Amino acid sequence: MKMNRITLSIFGAMLLAMSAGAQNLNLPTDATAGQAVSIPTSGSGSATLYVYGPGTAIKQKIQLGEPIQLEGEQLKKSGRYTVIIAGGQDSSGSFFVSPAKLESLAFLARPSRVPASRPGVISGSAYLFDGFNNLVLEKHPVKFGLTIDGSSGGGRSVDSNNGVAWVRMDSGKKAGAAQFTATSGDATVNRVVQQTASDPCNIRMKAQPAKNGNILVETDPIRDCTGNPVPDGTIVTFTSTDQNGRSTVDARIKRGIAQAELPPSQSATISVAAGVVLGNEIHWGGR
Amino acid sequence: MRDRTAWFLLAVGFLVVIMVLGLPNSMFAAAPPKTPEVRLDISKATPRDVEEQTQAAVVRDYGKAWQTLEQALEQNKADLLSGNFVGYAQDRWGQTVKAQEKSGLSRRIVDHGHHVEVLFYSVEGSAMQLRDTAQLEVQYLDGGKVIHSESMTARYLALMTPAENSWKIRILQEIAPETPKQSGTSNASGPGTGSK
Repeated sequence: MKMNRITLSIFGAMLLAMSAGAQNLNLPTDATAGQAVSIPTSGSGSATLYVYGPGTAIKQKIQLGEPIQLEGEQLKKSGRYTVIIAGGQDSSGSFFVSPAKLESLAFLARPSRVPASRPGVISGSAYLFDGFNNLVLEKHPVKFGLTIDGSSGGGRSVDSNNGVAWVRMDSGKKAGAAQFTATSGDATVNRVVQQTASDPCNIRMKAQPAKNGNILVETDPIRDCTGNPVPDGTIVTFTSTDQNGRSTVDARIKRGIAQAELPPSQSATISVAAGVVLGNEIHWGGR
Repeated sequence: MRDRTAWFLLAVGFLVVIMVLGLPNSMFAAAPPKTPEVRLDISKATPRDVEEQTQAAVVRDYGKAWQTLEQALEQNKADLLSGNFVGYAQDRWGQTVKAQEKSGLSRRIVDHGHHVEVLFYSVEGSAMQLRDTAQLEVQYLDGGKVIHSESMTARYLALMTPAENSWKIRILQEIAPETPKQSGTSNASGPGTGSK
């Protein structure tokens, strides 16, 4: 009998304690960065509210029974927010704030200079952010495009994964400043990739006697295999081989062509090359 | 007899003092804080494989970054972050430290290790995205007094980029557990277990 009384007293005390100030925090389940939330409280009297989150640390007095208002300004960073109510019956809990809608992209494109018509040489990665610099984790299609002088050099759409989308693309056929763009939703970012002519294709040269008795060699305009002029300054090597040995002259392309003077010879074989590309061969003089 | 004992005790005391003074200073210095344990999983890395040297560098620098973050959050020193954090990550955690400082709050993290998966390693090697599953014990402090503590399994997404001679964290944001999205009941703290 005595035991029953004790048990009943303990049970009663527990009920009393629970009804007096026990908090059952009802935290938001779908909070979004930058949007206010309201957290209802129960009980009466005052307590201290603590909120620890990314970019936020709040300590303030609250009235139990009245809802706690957290402003959008206090919830700009996505992540975990821990709410602690100290006073009365202490309680705590945490909720997650997810990133807001996509607003901007960070776009890394490499390299900044690339030869034309090369497969898989351009790479780009786009990072998707909301207006508060949170990485947007929801899948979004990201359209990558390469254009030069208004004409498309290729494009591809890739879904983002964990806020990142990447692509590897071929360089376009045309030399010049190509616009490499990444677009998702309303956000677009441009990067310039300078496409240069590839290696020369079919170097042709002709030879004629120079006024001083040397051999004047000159190439036709030097282009790559898609017709882009090889940039001025590219080195072209002329070689003359005769019975006295070999003479080599390096000349830079100037206004699309390269020219040089080789030492006089009665009978020589003259060749031309640029990098690993060989041009035609001329047999000069006698024989 | 009494004099002898006194002299003996004095001699012993003197010897003890000499021995203590002779010990290296390092024995009295506080042990340097330990870098958290980081285990790296590169099996999901795409589109580029992670070279061995890079793996070692990322493990070293990610661990250091967390060590720094934990010190910054405990001591409310935002400037500690600049060695390991850049860009948005530095802004985010710098703001956190400043907000704590303003409110007289801080948090202490007891770090039980990180399981880090490489999700993305860019073709040209200029960025690496990581997903970290960290075992943490977080103590929330008000003016140096612990008001709440909880153990949790926290998931983070990080983006690291190479700097001159180390990798730095450019993005570090906690992501929600897959399910349940949130929890919040009296004396229970979300994905972790709360205690006061």
